[in-house]
Amino acid sequence: MEQTYAIEMLNITKRFPGIIANDNISLQLKKGEIHALLGENGAGKSTLMSVLFGLYQPEEGTIKKDGKEVKINNPNDANDLGIGMVHQHFKLVECFSVLDNIILGVEPNKAGFLQKSEARKKVMELSDRYNLQIDPDALIEDITVGMQQRTEILKMLYRDNEILIFDEPTAVLTPQEIKELMQIMRNLAAEGKSILFISHKLAEIMEVADRCSVLRKGKYVGTVETANTTMEELSALMVGRNVSFHVDKKESTPGKEILSIENMTVASKLHKNNAVRNVSLKVRAGEIVCIAGIDGNGQTEFVHGLTGLEPLAGGKITLCGEDITKATIRQRSLKGMSHIPEDRHKHGLVLDYTLEDNLVLQRYFEPEFTDKAGFLKRKNIREYAEKLIGEFDVRSGQGPSTIVRSMSGGNQQKAIIARELDKDPELLVAVQPTRGLDVGAIEFIHKQLIAQRDAGKAVLLVSLELDEVMDVPDRILVMYEGEIVGEFDPKKTTQEELGLYMSGAKRM
Amino acid sequence: MLLLVQYTILFACILSLVALGGCFSEHSGVINLGLEGIMVMGAMGGALTMKYLPSDTSALLIVVFTIAVSMAIGMVYSLLLGVAAIHFKADQTLIGTAMNILGASLATVIVKSINTLSNPDDHSSAVQYIEEKKAFIVNIGDFEFSWFMAIAVVALVASYIVLYKTKLGLRLMACGEHPQAADSVGINVYKMRWIGVLISGALGGLGGICYITTGVSEWKFEYGVAGFGFLALAVMIFGKWKPQNIALAAILFGFFRALSNVYFGFDFLVNLNIPSGVYNMLPYVISLIVLAFTSKKSRAPKAEGIPYDKGAR
Amino acid sequence: MKKILKNSGVQSFLASLVCIILGMLIGYIVLLIIEPSGAGEAIVAVAKNFLGYSKKSMQMKYLGNTLTKTAPLLMCSLSIIFAYKVGLFNIGAAGQYVIGSCACLYGALVLHLSWIPCMLLAAVAGGIFGAVTGILKAYCNVNEVISGIMLNWIGLYFTNMVLVQAKDAASAYTYALKSGGKAAILPSLGLKSVFGKNQYVGIAIPLAILFALIVWVVLEKTKLGYELKATGFNKHAAKYCGMAEKRNIILSLVCSGILAGLAGSFMYQTDMEQWQVTIASVPAMGFNGIAAAFLGGLNPIGAIFSSFFIQHITDGGSHVDLNVYCAQISELISALIIYLCGFVGFMKYVMDSRLKKAEEKAMENSNTEASDKQVPDAETNEKGGNK
Repeated sequence: MEQTYAIEMLNITKRFPGIIANDNISLQLKKGEIHALLGENGAGKSTLMSVLFGLYQPEEGTIKKDGKEVKINNPNDANDLGIGMVHQHFKLVECFSVLDNIILGVEPNKAGFLQKSEARKKVMELSDRYNLQIDPDALIEDITVGMQQRTEILKMLYRDNEILIFDEPTAVLTPQEIKELMQIMRNLAAEGKSILFISHKLAEIMEVADRCSVLRKGKYVGTVETANTTMEELSALMVGRNVSFHVDKKESTPGKEILSIENMTVASKLHKNNAVRNVSLKVRAGEIVCIAGIDGNGQTEFVHGLTGLEPLAGGKITLCGEDITKATIRQRSLKGMSHIPEDRHKHGLVLDYTLEDNLVLQRYFEPEFTDKAGFLKRKNIREYAEKLIGEFDVRSGQGPSTIVRSMSGGNQQKAIIARELDKDPELLVAVQPTRGLDVGAIEFIHKQLIAQRDAGKAVLLVSLELDEVMDVPDRILVMYEGEIVGEFDPKKTTQEELGLYMSGAKRM
Repeated sequence: MLLLVQYTILFACILSLVALGGCFSEHSGVINLGLEGIMVMGAMGGALTMKYLPSDTSALLIVVFTIAVSMAIGMVYSLLLGVAAIHFKADQTLIGTAMNILGASLATVIVKSINTLSNPDDHSSAVQYIEEKKAFIVNIGDFEFSWFMAIAVVALVASYIVLYKTKLGLRLMACGEHPQAADSVGINVYKMRWIGVLISGALGGLGGICYITTGVSEWKFEYGVAGFGFLALAVMIFGKWKPQNIALAAILFGFFRALSNVYFGFDFLVNLNIPSGVYNMLPYVISLIVLAFTSKKSRAPKAEGIPYDKGAR
Repeated sequence: MKKILKNSGVQSFLASLVCIILGMLIGYIVLLIIEPSGAGEAIVAVAKNFLGYSKKSMQMKYLGNTLTKTAPLLMCSLSIIFAYKVGLFNIGAAGQYVIGSCACLYGALVLHLSWIPCMLLAAVAGGIFGAVTGILKAYCNVNEVISGIMLNWIGLYFTNMVLVQAKDAASAYTYALKSGGKAAILPSLGLKSVFGKNQYVGIAIPLAILFALIVWVVLEKTKLGYELKATGFNKHAAKYCGMAEKRNIILSLVCSGILAGLAGSFMYQTDMEQWQVTIASVPAMGFNGIAAAFLGGLNPIGAIFSSFFIQHITDGGSHVDLNVYCAQISELISALIIYLCGFVGFMKYVMDSRLKKAEEKAMENSNTEASDKQVPDAETNEKGGNK
């Protein structure tokens, strides 16, 4: 007997100029199952979901709901078919209440006037039934990420959606919140909802999903039952080869103290409390120290305080024996601090400048690039850019004169790394240097960090990725709610142990 | 004294109306710097209506027609902003500036042409409406009550209700804060922005006719509306984009503006011997100072001024 | 051919041309609506301006008039361009022009200074107004457009108040320089005889062109320009790499103010016009500067030509039959041109995508493999769209 699926995407092909984003991909979601969709960045997951939501029209292929072919021209069609999605970046209006966000778009009303009490009743019923705790009157900007996610889930349930898609839902959650989410997903599936779970985290997929479909470079690789497979097998399917999860590196030989931070406190821009509280740490030459933690626990503010983007509310920073607490960003840079910023588009690059102009962003004022009268030495800039482009293999359309906006994310990041490393810094502050990059680029960057360490530099890595936290550094510091709550030797700890500290369950 | 109160209220009404206009547009995500031009166009529409209505038209009809035409012209003129900002992702500052200059010159050209055609020796850009203007005024003792005062109060209350109590308001504000979120739940962002811009146009036009009937009985369109559209934007910023606060901010600004009109009625002010230029400058100086203290932590709609592109998610 | 079209300078030029043609066309339609019979003649008069005179010497004389007014207009548009490169819309140029005019006229008619000190006064006054806007922007987060407009009106009323001292009680206009402050009149450099004995033509014209070149060199060739443009494109990145972001905002608005202040000097120190202390609206010069700046593709060299064009049609407005039409028709046309300049981005986008399509076709035909093609970072493009 033929199985009826909640939703089927059959032989979907979607092309963009110069690239096939989805090449003959099929995906079948059974009723009441949790189905994982696995793939690296750029494997075609988001394109496939955009097709499902009617944002893109595929060149080939069909979509069936309950065995009947349907046409999805826009997100409204998808909504009408009962398809809902929790996006990776939540689609919530920050200055609205939880309730307003849930009803937005399907507001109960009489002659245009909102009838919120009706809505509130339904939301609270759903909240009880699925054990999704929320405060309907709190503003989104005031609540935790976990509650924001529950708001997103309630949005789907409020609309009576039957097919629920979760796009990388665990990236911003603590291990404990992840556990809760897994339980919620199981509850939902038990109530007959069909769940599509997009992720590249193998452990989570193994734990919660019934089946898993794998995409690689726009192509469909296969679907496996999680009960009959292993993480290694899934990983091989995902990247097409067996990757070593471990980075090769020698023992570190720490030297003299390069960076010393005493009782650093930084005010928060979002709330009245301090985002960073009394943080003290030291980084020595020849070691990589990693600050681990869940997103939003003060890491960003810590880095801003360290690099001078934000003033300190208290504390002292010493770099190579010099007090730089009050130094400007430029002074810190000249004294040997390099900074690979968290957000390469916001801070790291002037996207509308050429590659060469971006490569001298930290050095343009040096006599090598600017003469005494204040004119730029264009020839020297070109030569310097060509040198860096060669050394770091930065690929672009027109070499040094390429506008950076048109480059791929990996090459943009390479350009930043080239610029920051070539400054020959004493201290390298690298904040999520591999965010959003593919495996090859990640390997390259990890190697560069270790090379810096081996050359006797101090490296301070801030990372959210547990794999990176376990593999790259020589010491791990866990930050939770603006404080350092634990210090670990990566060789002697486990991800589980770190998780307890990262979530505030334990502290030293 | 009564005169000062009366003018304060009148100017506060104009500022509220126009600031509410700016408020709707910005809540939907479009910065409307063209309010000045919209005011001029609305004022022109209203002034010409008053001029051409038969002299035996009843007072009520004069009020209704004049206001209706001003609002309609304001809306039509705001189409220029809507098309450029919503569909062509044009620089909203540039478009607003162009609309201000265009409004003043277009109104001048139209009025002058009309004047010249009816009397070849008349090259002025003025429209007179001495008799018709009286339709807007009801004397209560010495206090001249203007219908615009009632209209402004109604507009303030209505704006509050629309923004915070209706489906439309919720959707409109969602588009100004997070258009991608609005789009993801099936709200047509372009449509909402159009609604915001058109309401803005209507209120701007209304503010325009209100402005030129305050204190004078003829208007030279070469003069535009003396930066009132921008004062209204300052009121809106000071009022934190909320109707209830806008009302208070408008009274403050209206007071200083009124002072420049009636300061010579106060002996002690006249005795100070301050040149009239100082009183003229006062509203602008005050608004600069107020802005300096209030802009630091402004709560402008997050997505305002950013063209919405359905493709880029 | 395609290569030429791909050049962004050429694209800017074509887009500007489209703006001009459309602007004139709509102006013509407006004239047609007013009175069809003379509309053609009128629009030709606007477009011809000084060329409407048959005698060569008269042509030169009126060309001189247009050029004399082009100089301040060019300065105003340079002011707009300079600030725009740092991401600021200096609508306050109109007020900086006014306060510059006020300062130089005060210097000339009340203090009886010679032309260079008067010019410097104008520059300083404009610079101070620019600094106010800059400081409010950098330290108080006040939108520069709104503070600029407020300063425009403050400047206007202030000027009217101050220049009362420099006029006859019977007249609304300040004294002519030739009677009240001869030393302040800008030198003619012998240009007078070239332009049909036009006494107003002088050093302002070459100076304005020189300033255009200086602005171009500063923006394109120097460290300062590199910093300012980086701040304009991405102020977060500018801060990240240690550029003094707030200083740059203030500095650029001060420079911008100086340029606009000098525009006032270049206008009133020719003695071509006198200030009218009863004037109730901010002079259009600063706003026309916006038109010239955008029409010139925000390029200082382009601005030389666009300023001339805008002034050309503005003067042309006075040549229409004033018994039927009014001179403001040319203001209307320049406002339309500014409006249309808002669509330049879209026009370039259309040109680019047309070219790309053509290229792709050519690629497919020649069967070359597009294997190593760069796929732009999706996130980059998204952020670009949000800028």
